[in-house]
Amino acid sequence: MRRTRWVCVGLWGTALLLAIAPQAGSAPATCQLGVPAIRLGVQGVASGPHADYGRQIQMGAVMAIEEINARGGVLGCRLEMRFMDDENRPATGVRNARLLVTEYGAHFLYGTDSSGVAMALGPVLKELDRIQFFTHAATHRLTEELVAQQGIRQIVRVSAPVYQDAIAAWVFKDNPQIRRWATIGADYEYGYATWALFRDAMRRFRPDVEFVGAAWAPFLTTDFSPHISAVMAQNPDGIIATPWAGEAVTLLRQAVLMGVFDRVQVWFQAMGGSVDVLEGIAREVQEDRFKGKLWATARYIHNWPDTQTNRAFVERFERRWARLPNYSAETTYSAIQITKAAVERSRSLQTDRVIAALRGMQIVTPAGLRVFREQDQQFVYTVPAGRVVWSARHNMPILGDLRVVSAREYWRSPPFTPLQVGR
Amino acid sequence: MDAFLYQGLVGVSLAMYLWLISAGLTIVFGVLGVLNFAHGSLFMLGAYLAYTFYGPAELPFAVSVLAAVAVVAVVGLVMEHFFLRHLYAVDVAYQLLLTFGFVLVFDDLVKILWGGVFRIPPIPRFLDGAWTVFGRPFPIYNAFVIAVGLTVGAALWLLFERTWWGRTVRATASDRDMAGALGVRVPRVFSAVFMFGAALAALGGALGTPVRVVAPGIGGAMIIQAFIITVIGGLGNLKGAFIGSLIVGILSAYGTLFFPVFELFFIFVIMAAVLLVRPQGLFGTAR
Repeated sequence: MRRTRWVCVGLWGTALLLAIAPQAGSAPATCQLGVPAIRLGVQGVASGPHADYGRQIQMGAVMAIEEINARGGVLGCRLEMRFMDDENRPATGVRNARLLVTEYGAHFLYGTDSSGVAMALGPVLKELDRIQFFTHAATHRLTEELVAQQGIRQIVRVSAPVYQDAIAAWVFKDNPQIRRWATIGADYEYGYATWALFRDAMRRFRPDVEFVGAAWAPFLTTDFSPHISAVMAQNPDGIIATPWAGEAVTLLRQAVLMGVFDRVQVWFQAMGGSVDVLEGIAREVQEDRFKGKLWATARYIHNWPDTQTNRAFVERFERRWARLPNYSAETTYSAIQITKAAVERSRSLQTDRVIAALRGMQIVTPAGLRVFREQDQQFVYTVPAGRVVWSARHNMPILGDLRVVSAREYWRSPPFTPLQVGR
Repeated sequence: MDAFLYQGLVGVSLAMYLWLISAGLTIVFGVLGVLNFAHGSLFMLGAYLAYTFYGPAELPFAVSVLAAVAVVAVVGLVMEHFFLRHLYAVDVAYQLLLTFGFVLVFDDLVKILWGGVFRIPPIPRFLDGAWTVFGRPFPIYNAFVIAVGLTVGAALWLLFERTWWGRTVRATASDRDMAGALGVRVPRVFSAVFMFGAALAALGGALGTPVRVVAPGIGGAMIIQAFIITVIGGLGNLKGAFIGSLIVGILSAYGTLFFPVFELFFIFVIMAAVLLVRPQGLFGTAR
């Protein structure tokens, strides 16, 4: 009797071990690339008012890796990752990249939120000879200067660049009553480039418009009252604002308190379609404090496109993390899926062969079809702009009244003419 | 003209936040001789605690602010009693290193306790809305901050100029050995002053909570401005901190209106000019 019990325990134990082994080890029998695992180095800002972006980068990466490993990895190779906080500082980002490649042994790099960090990383990637898939940093210079001009092929961008922020010109060009525009800009290249691109486009469409004011707010601004007041002194009809993340929330809430939405016709918050911003202004949207005048875009929005791929992604993401995916989550998730496709196509981890495998790639992602553009190594895709509205279904604000403009219309194309950017 | 006056008023409200944080910094330096790098972290801690009490715990706003101030005052007491007190006799560089160490500890501590993501609670209903001032809506919340700043200024003046405790503190600041010889319990005064400074930093942080996001590192941005103010006004001088705050706040606002390209540059030019002409600051005395 006792022996039978022990045999039962042994059988149950063996069955349990067999059951959990695929998850615990999850490494398929043999990796066809001859490495113990494909290592992914991921970084983003994980502290301060912008911290949600690094967190979302991490969530997107973890989810992609879990899904790929669960299906047998890439050519039988398991994916592993290490995440580091770049603190929105170029020096930290560069140090992280070196550590991820030399200490951790990363085969590919991902992420980074700040344009400043991205520009600092560019030359280092060439030296390290590792591909970084950029999944948030938006500066046009990353791809126009470092890739198209200087030929740093280790840079690949998966997220929409700053061209996306100028979509406001296409959205509002047919509103003749909105004639006087001003900006409350992020006081660095992202803010200047957005304003320059918007003005250039708007001038082409509408020679009658005036650009009446600009106020520039540096990183970590906590009181935007002087900026709001200075711009409102010029009586603008429309405002383009580029502070993002927690700073966008602060700016919008202070603008509500200062009665801005009684006086302007439209406020376009460039990256206001980001989940953290929408969550931060939920109460104001629910109470209609923006009076339907707040518009935004993002580098991906969870409610567009209405495809099975996107709906399934959002559902899995919400189930995994109990939050909606932000754009930095989707772009990082898609970047890792792109890596998988390129490595499988090239059957190699070598930079030049993986880059070669990207040529001509068209890949269906949650954000829609991404098409690789070889000259500047960007994946081109469309993201709409929309009005910030309350969604009872999501119990939070979303972008509604969507205006879909094809990326081909507002993305700059090679050969690039220099963009006059400055305050 | 209205736009000019309105911008000045916006500058005054900005100045009052700066005043609350620089007042504590300058008091601690004036009495203890400690340049507290961690003062911005105490500001941040005040903001996080006020957020927690007012947001998730749903306590009344005033209670939340006072509770945050009280908790941070106790944190200040712990910092002074168990750490700083042992370094008064050694080179000032060690104090700087210690307070800088506190900055790193507090930054990581808030990430552990509250996470890296920013927080912002709703604005209290009774402070929501705007009054029309100079033809434009001026937030009631900004008027409230101005009122609190001025009240704190008046209270500090009364405390230090008109009370026995204030005289004791001033005597200790002037000559701690002599004060000790006359029976003043100098260590106790130091603890109380450090607590007081911490409480003022927390008040600044807590007051901003409903209109400014709370996030790790927010103290860093504030402390730089507070240092500029104390340099302009004179290190250790309360009146200097008040005037310095007004100068920085108002010029910042006008800089944004008239010289948006040079707005930040403006403040540093003023600080450099003061340092060149009057190195001890506008109201400071040479040490």
